[in-house]
Amino acid sequence: MAKFITIGERLSTTAPTVNKAFLARDPEPILARAKAQLDAGATYLDVNIGPAEGYGEDLMKWAVQLLQSNFDNVPLALDTSNKAAIEAGISVYNRSKGKPIVNSADAAGRIENIDLAAANDAIVIALCNGEGIAADNDERMGYCTTLLERGLSLGLSEDDIWFDPLFVVIKGMQDKQMDVLHFIGDLTAMGLKTTGGLSNNSNGMPKHIRPIMDSAMVAMAMMMGMTSAIVNPNDLRLMETIKSCDIIRNDTLYADSYLEV
Amino acid sequence: MPFTKKLQKFNATIRTVELGTGEKAVKLGGGSTFPFYTFDGPTANPAKIGIEISDMGLENEPDCIKAFYEGCGSVAEIAKKAASFEGVDFVVLKLEGGDPNGADKPVEELVNVAKEVSEAIDLPLVVEGCKNVQKDAELLSKVAEALQGKNVLLLSAREEDYKNIAAAAGLAYDQLIGAESAVDINLAKQLNVLIKQLGVDLGKVVMNVGSAAAGYGFDYVISTMDRVRAAALGQADDSLLMPVITPVSSETWTVKEASASEEDAPGWGPVEERGIDMEVETAVACLTCGSDAVILKHPTSIATVSKMIQALS
Repeated sequence: MAKFITIGERLSTTAPTVNKAFLARDPEPILARAKAQLDAGATYLDVNIGPAEGYGEDLMKWAVQLLQSNFDNVPLALDTSNKAAIEAGISVYNRSKGKPIVNSADAAGRIENIDLAAANDAIVIALCNGEGIAADNDERMGYCTTLLERGLSLGLSEDDIWFDPLFVVIKGMQDKQMDVLHFIGDLTAMGLKTTGGLSNNSNGMPKHIRPIMDSAMVAMAMMMGMTSAIVNPNDLRLMETIKSCDIIRNDTLYADSYLEV
Repeated sequence: MPFTKKLQKFNATIRTVELGTGEKAVKLGGGSTFPFYTFDGPTANPAKIGIEISDMGLENEPDCIKAFYEGCGSVAEIAKKAASFEGVDFVVLKLEGGDPNGADKPVEELVNVAKEVSEAIDLPLVVEGCKNVQKDAELLSKVAEALQGKNVLLLSAREEDYKNIAAAAGLAYDQLIGAESAVDINLAKQLNVLIKQLGVDLGKVVMNVGSAAAGYGFDYVISTMDRVRAAALGQADDSLLMPVITPVSSETWTVKEASASEEDAPGWGPVEERGIDMEVETAVACLTCGSDAVILKHPTSIATVSKMIQALS
């Protein structure tokens, strides 16, 4: 059993400060956010540069080298729809602290990112969807099988394919939440690893509610065997919940100061 | 169907802690397999053996131990002799005379003994306190100061006195710290976390997770060692990835199997043999459950355990 892996989501072009810093190649805001996430206990950092048409290769290389040289080769998830940018990032990536993660492949237009991960000995996040969100778990499992078979046929280890069930928003899809959780249980029963953008579930909720809902969701997902999630590590309640669930799952040895390590 | 050997691989390695200085320095830990699982990977640093001596000289020793030190007039001479026995990797000086309920020797006197011993030998030195929390806090801090540059290991910092001892040994005087907990896996981890929070480099910490003589609650001791090593390697838990040292002789020589005279226990055989047997059996069980070093007393036990380590590493 291994500790739950957190992938910090705060280096994303969707945040205006980060977007501006990426475009200007301004290290300070990037390093500040990276440090805050690592200090809070993130294992991986997600580097979301957006589509970055035309300059993605240069930008991803810059970001990978900046982060790894400042933070002891911190492992990274390379997050962009720009395949050339992911490959460029991997070309300068140091693996001493963990393989790079390709974020992400799906069973439709982005299926070739499975091939990219296989060719580069990387981990890949495999979204269990095709065009649009799956209607039910049968459909999700169909996508999962497609992605798994493609990965294995190209020599990827099943440990290096992290399946994302796709968390769906509670405000609008409240009746689908248990489906997602049961699907995580199905993947766990198959011996597969799982991850996902956890905070999707609380989209549109008031700011003070989101940490509470995200914490409940991560606890239930971890009960189903979830092995990783893409989260905001600076959400203290969430991180405390994850650490507590790691104790209950016997993935970390308890000590009175467990929240501080 | 052909047999495919499946190796148990861990993504973690016990820290290597160097004890002593110069050519005779020894390396504790460094493993990334269970003890003696050479089929899973090479042994990094074979387990080490320390020989226990006391500031009280030979006063409290059984006759069979006294015989080995005939002619030694001072603790320093005892130390020199102890260091010369086959299989000895380091010397452990117990300052038991400091105990306020015993000889209650003053701190300065004990520090001088530690200095004399340190000067008399070229093997690495471990200094053990008198087990009294108040006295040890002062005593071990002063020893750490007096032996600066010798890279000695101080036994032990406990939950009650770690702040003084770990701060003196680890922060002020750059020595090694033994973190002692009594057969409590959660406390073993907690103590390491607390020591780290003082600012001490965990690379200077060796754990004593508890000890007992075989047959005396010993199953708790070895299951604690087992679980510490399994959690350290299996969960890659940084707060547990330190080598383990286990005092054995201080437990085994006082139990009745080792101490009852031949007149009192006529059917049990020679008292010296029983003492050696208890010491060897306890030490071997500790080593196979994860101790990276054991502390023994009888030269025959030390030679025997040393041979076993060489044969299995």
